[in-house]
Amino acid sequence: MTEKFIKNDLLSDGYYEIDHDSGLKIFVMEKPEYTGAFAMFGTKYGSIDTCFKLKNEKDFTCVPEGIAHFLEHKLFESEELDAFELFAKTGANANAFTSFDRTCYIFSCSSNFEKSLEILLDFVKKPYFTEQTVQKEQGIIGQEIRMYQDDPDWQTLFNLLRGIYSKNPVRIDIAGTIESIAEINAKLLYGCYNTFYNLSNMALAVAGNVSKDEVLKIADRVLPKEEKVEFEQIIPEEDAGVVTDYTEEKLGVDVTKFALGFKENHRSPLRTPKELVSVNLALGIIAGKVSPLYCKMLEEGLINQSFGTEYFTGRGFAVPIFTGESNDPKKVRDEIIGEIKRLRKEGISDDDFETVRKRLYGLEVLGFNETENLANALVDSYFNGFGLFDTVEIYKSITKEDIEETIKTHFDENNCCLSVVK
Amino acid sequence: MNVSKISKGVKLGYHQTGKFKTTTMSLNIIAPLDSKTSEKALLIYLLSRTTKKYPTVFSMNRALAKLYGAIISPSVSKSGEALVLSLNLSCLDDKFTLDGAPITEECIKLLLSCLFEPDITPDGFKKENVEREKRLLLQKIESEKDEKRIYALNRMLEEMCKDEAYSLNKYGKKEIIEKLDGKVLFEEWKNLIFSCPIQINYIGPKSEKEITNTVKPYFEKLERKNIIDITTEFLTESYGTKTVTEKQNVKQGKLVVGFRAGMTYGMDNYAALKVMNAIFGSGTFSKLFMNVREKMSLCYYCSASLINSKGIIAVQSGVETENAEKALAAIRNELDEVRKGNFEDETINQAKLSLCDTLHSVEDAGTDIDAWFKAYCASGEFFTPDSIAEMIKAVSREEIIVAACSVTEDTVFILESEKKEEKGND
Repeated sequence: MTEKFIKNDLLSDGYYEIDHDSGLKIFVMEKPEYTGAFAMFGTKYGSIDTCFKLKNEKDFTCVPEGIAHFLEHKLFESEELDAFELFAKTGANANAFTSFDRTCYIFSCSSNFEKSLEILLDFVKKPYFTEQTVQKEQGIIGQEIRMYQDDPDWQTLFNLLRGIYSKNPVRIDIAGTIESIAEINAKLLYGCYNTFYNLSNMALAVAGNVSKDEVLKIADRVLPKEEKVEFEQIIPEEDAGVVTDYTEEKLGVDVTKFALGFKENHRSPLRTPKELVSVNLALGIIAGKVSPLYCKMLEEGLINQSFGTEYFTGRGFAVPIFTGESNDPKKVRDEIIGEIKRLRKEGISDDDFETVRKRLYGLEVLGFNETENLANALVDSYFNGFGLFDTVEIYKSITKEDIEETIKTHFDENNCCLSVVK
Repeated sequence: MNVSKISKGVKLGYHQTGKFKTTTMSLNIIAPLDSKTSEKALLIYLLSRTTKKYPTVFSMNRALAKLYGAIISPSVSKSGEALVLSLNLSCLDDKFTLDGAPITEECIKLLLSCLFEPDITPDGFKKENVEREKRLLLQKIESEKDEKRIYALNRMLEEMCKDEAYSLNKYGKKEIIEKLDGKVLFEEWKNLIFSCPIQINYIGPKSEKEITNTVKPYFEKLERKNIIDITTEFLTESYGTKTVTEKQNVKQGKLVVGFRAGMTYGMDNYAALKVMNAIFGSGTFSKLFMNVREKMSLCYYCSASLINSKGIIAVQSGVETENAEKALAAIRNELDEVRKGNFEDETINQAKLSLCDTLHSVEDAGTDIDAWFKAYCASGEFFTPDSIAEMIKAVSREEIIVAACSVTEDTVFILESEKKEEKGND
């Protein structure tokens, strides 16, 4: 077992990074001034991991859409008491979520931390499903899928992803479809579990009123050493261009929603901290809340306060996105593209750069307040190949020229898509 | 955490802490929920957007950005039959700025200037600002209709409290908003700052004295005289169940059931109801989660929440329209089980443990502390999370059963899916 302490002077914070003997990466951020603690146990496995095989297997298995999310639901069950019943005994508040590229199991508590951590590590490492329990879950998840079908923001985002990517599995719905989840069975679930829930593919992060020794004591007791499982995946080659530059769906909403995304083509699957900060700054300068364009569009009635920007990224996908509500989304798109062209030609003013830099730095630091955010950011940054403090440090050194370059390379107006839900 | 009076009709909710990287502060005006709700809701948005010193959205947003992304955001909420209008500030602590410049003092002054130094002319608020906010608020009201979960809950409450002020939408009415002008809003602004109770909440490193000294002068010069008294009407019992059904083009139907909780003003049976509600339907150990979701596999969510400021329990669920009756029967059955005392002692402990765990975590987030203060700002008394936890621990099995028996069903709202024939084809 090796451990190191990673410190940041700017934020006067620090955390332990531990390579545990079991093969698991563990992060602990001790915050004795807090009452409670938050723990997250995650695997680098999400809805985009649809075609894979173990290294010694001959054939690839392609699994039904939505299986990672289905597996997340099923792991809470066991032969005896399910995980929710166990957590009820400690008072902890437990949950889980599946995203495009990871699945995480979480709890927060203000007492009985050790017992709750033991339950968390134990239930995720002990899968149990039968054909009956799989069937029962199809009803519950079926309703979850329907709930999202009525969510216009969710539909706007997925229509955009399907307009941008032709093959990248980020275009499929995280929970799958009613039809795809009907194909899921216990054997397929075990196949996914045995491939992706190996400790070498996972991480545990804890932040709050706990000590590193407490965490390690439980990990030592619950997690036996695991041999590394090696697997291969089929990653379909993506087309360079978007599928379509415009997509529209009629849901019958009262206010029209839109999302505008720019396609990026990268050779490597992960974005660096500098790229993340640069694109976010660029988004802020083009149409963020303090940009002249945002204020103009707001005053003119073209957008409302729901307007926002996001660098939507994960393993194998990266799309700078502008979202909002408008009576004329095409005009919003044209205004944004016009501003991108202007910035490319005229450059960024020192005042604009400095204003947006300060704002985004402040908002980044805000994220360091709550234990939930901290545990989440520890897992997220690790899965993306960098450290917790790396992005915040970039704000000190980044220059206006970096952002001017980013606007040239990440916002190709000839390769973008506008998704509209009416 | 404590609340004290600092001026006439003005209270300070104060919590000193150095553990966060930010200061959280809010100005809360406690106004009656009445026919002027539209004016009030619009005003709080208008006030948050510009000030005399920063008269445009652009200049205001730039000023906030330069203060390291300080956020001043408006919010409107109902606390019983009080309308709580809030201006919320969140700003970086001085020691984390990149250039070492202190900013907190300026942020607090900017927050106060939103309420007390708005951009007005002798004719009231400027037309262009009023028109912008009217448009934004109208869109907000429209947009909320697209969030079916919130929409269904609001519709149930509206039907249930038809003859009570609580049925009013917190953002007001479309027809009234459309007609508002700068002059009317100017009058309403004066009403708010001269005669409504106000509570300021502060969560950060400064001393109570320092905050009081910063804030007090703004109120002292106002000569606040007749501070209004706001009370909430509590109906302890339903007059019988009414059912309202609506059809919409949705994939998933919604079922919302409203109960009168048998609560009166004050805290008498609050703790018992809270534990009862947890056993019935909040949390993963509850009867609704274990049976309606897990065993019957009817829905993704089915949970009960206690709105103690009005004495209402609302059960919300997303179900297939054809299963709505089945789910409703199951919900009624689970409540009956609680009334009959058909639950384990172990479940009581779990409910208490879970509630107390959440209460003890309140102090771990500035916004949670602020929300806690806000929840009490319209009521006469203040209780800390610790004191509520003590009350919860003391609740007995008998009190839970009595609480469950005092709950009566009032209104069932069902949002049905129009397109039944398309089911399963998507």
